[in-house]
Amino acid sequence: MATRRHILAGLVASALPRLSWADAGSPAFLAAARMSSGAFALHGLTEAGAMLFAIPLPARGHAAAAHPTRAEAVAFARRPGTYALVIGCASGTLRARLTPPDGRQFNGHGAYSADGALLYTSEVVAETSEGVVGVWDTAGWHRVDEFPSGGIGPHELRRLPGSDDLVVANGGIRTDPQDRSKLNIETMRPNLSYLSPDGAILEQAELPEELRQNSIRHLALAEDGTVAFAMQWEGDPAEPVPLLGLHRRGEALRLCPPREEDLFAMRGYAGSIARSEGMIALTSPRGGVVQLHAEDGAPLATLARPDACGVAPLPGGFLVTDGGGAITRLTPEGFRPLERTAAAWDNHLVRI
Amino acid sequence: MRPALSAPLWGLLALLAAAPLRAGVPEAVSEAILPGYEGFTAATAALDTAARADCSAEALKAPWNAAFDAWMAVSHLRIGPSETDGRALAIAFWPDPKGSGARTQARLLDAADPALLAPERFAEVSVAARGLFALERLLYDPAFAGDYACALTRATAADLARMAADLETDWRETFAPLVLTAGSEGNDRFLTEAEARQALFTQLMAGLEFTADQRLGRPLGSFDRPRPERAEARLSGRSLRNVELSLAALERLALALAPDSPRTREGFDQARSRAANLDDPRFDGVADPSGRLRVEILQQRLHALRDVLSAEVGGALGVSVGFNAADGD
Repeated sequence: MATRRHILAGLVASALPRLSWADAGSPAFLAAARMSSGAFALHGLTEAGAMLFAIPLPARGHAAAAHPTRAEAVAFARRPGTYALVIGCASGTLRARLTPPDGRQFNGHGAYSADGALLYTSEVVAETSEGVVGVWDTAGWHRVDEFPSGGIGPHELRRLPGSDDLVVANGGIRTDPQDRSKLNIETMRPNLSYLSPDGAILEQAELPEELRQNSIRHLALAEDGTVAFAMQWEGDPAEPVPLLGLHRRGEALRLCPPREEDLFAMRGYAGSIARSEGMIALTSPRGGVVQLHAEDGAPLATLARPDACGVAPLPGGFLVTDGGGAITRLTPEGFRPLERTAAAWDNHLVRI
Repeated sequence: MRPALSAPLWGLLALLAAAPLRAGVPEAVSEAILPGYEGFTAATAALDTAARADCSAEALKAPWNAAFDAWMAVSHLRIGPSETDGRALAIAFWPDPKGSGARTQARLLDAADPALLAPERFAEVSVAARGLFALERLLYDPAFAGDYACALTRATAADLARMAADLETDWRETFAPLVLTAGSEGNDRFLTEAEARQALFTQLMAGLEFTADQRLGRPLGSFDRPRPERAEARLSGRSLRNVELSLAALERLALALAPDSPRTREGFDQARSRAANLDDPRFDGVADPSGRLRVEILQQRLHALRDVLSAEVGGALGVSVGFNAADGD
């Protein structure tokens, strides 16, 4: 049944010409933020961190997914999310608004299929936190399918490079549908699930028993399909646990602890993860640090940046955004400021 | 002897104290932070000197306690030099739920390798087996005795004094100037003044949470399973004293940052009298219902104080806990 929402979405979508990323040229990143007015917006940023456009968001945002060819991205609400906005990135205009079906909530992340015809959204059944992947047709923005994500409380979802298979970070945490309070910390069991585009579970990787309170939440993929995953520790804060793991299909999961002196620098919490030129960056707003690891997971450096969370690759290093408004360039030598803004930059910085 | 502040730093402090926008931060640095580190350097140097003269527990308990007292003035500062090389962890490795400090020390005693006690080698020993808690076991646990234990005590005291001096020097010469010139051209550590204010505010809030949730929360455990054995510095009977000293240090920092804070003063006053009335130096009382209730009430006071600090001190500084740090996703 074509709902009013779908018709409106279709009208918005067909009213604009389809520009490609090459035409759009300028925005290199997307990031949600709270503005000094208190309102929320999605921003397009250049490679140098300059703000190009801002699109008002109805509520706090979280992450975004970029279309593989069209100059288009979908911005997701912070969980429990009630909206996702389809943005034309060349002009910074709104193309469509997605709303999860009754009883479902968006969980902040999503990914396009390789040809861009479908969008996969990370969702939960609101009452149970059972994970769902929603499937949307990106031509008319209809919901066409959904299937289980393979766990409880899925968070980030990515498409594997050169494939239409998906990998989902099932965080394992059941939450109250209204207030996000955590309901199953004693029994939680996160996993990484690999799914075919039609929802068949291809492989699942779990943490060792003593680390099952380490919620797998964010992902950064290498071209060879190696998945770097970032975790958030829900157990005793006095237990030093690794917050970075690596996994490749068919292989054992590898955990990558920091150096002993940096064991507690992240305060048990990694907020975002990215890869760039043989490095992996893991941000911790709670610790006010970013940890750099080599591609094999070996620790390289721990560098201080208050409330740092958003991170994305740049040539030679990373672009990092923080809640204080700074946009900085990170290399193993340290941070170099690019922009100081009045925006409180939200969890994720998305390379487009 | 306490080392004096360098002349340029005094000049900087005087200059910045005059700038109204930066109110709070220079006062915190000059009144709470630097004197705290100076005191810790002096107390650990005295402990080192005493250990060289006599490594017996009787001779060292007093200077060790004085050094621990001095650490409590700065233990909540987990930023900059205290994070370099894991210094704060190596100075006070607690909580240690797996007992890795004691296990590593037992291995050191078994091996009895004198070469390991050379300062540069000892600095490479696990952070869990160094610092104040390593010395606490050496001085208060009869299992740690003998000639090698004596040499290990001396090496641990010397290592602690070295870390204290390095920490103070780094704060005085490098980190305090960065805090005080926040937002200036070329200061890549603090890109705005607000970042420096927020950094100190975050130390205050995290310090209070640590005392409420770890120093009190670990021995409290749950009603069905109280855990008095998990109290901090239980061997030496300093558990309650550490809570009181940490509150005093946090109050000093809070009032240096925002002197006009009546509710903050009142909240610390109430917490202090609650703590003083506990009369339970090791929190043994958590195992019986009435004693437990009194520790729980103190913990609740500290949780309420957190909200007061957030409103009053955070409000005065114009900062709050970070947008992303508070989010959790």
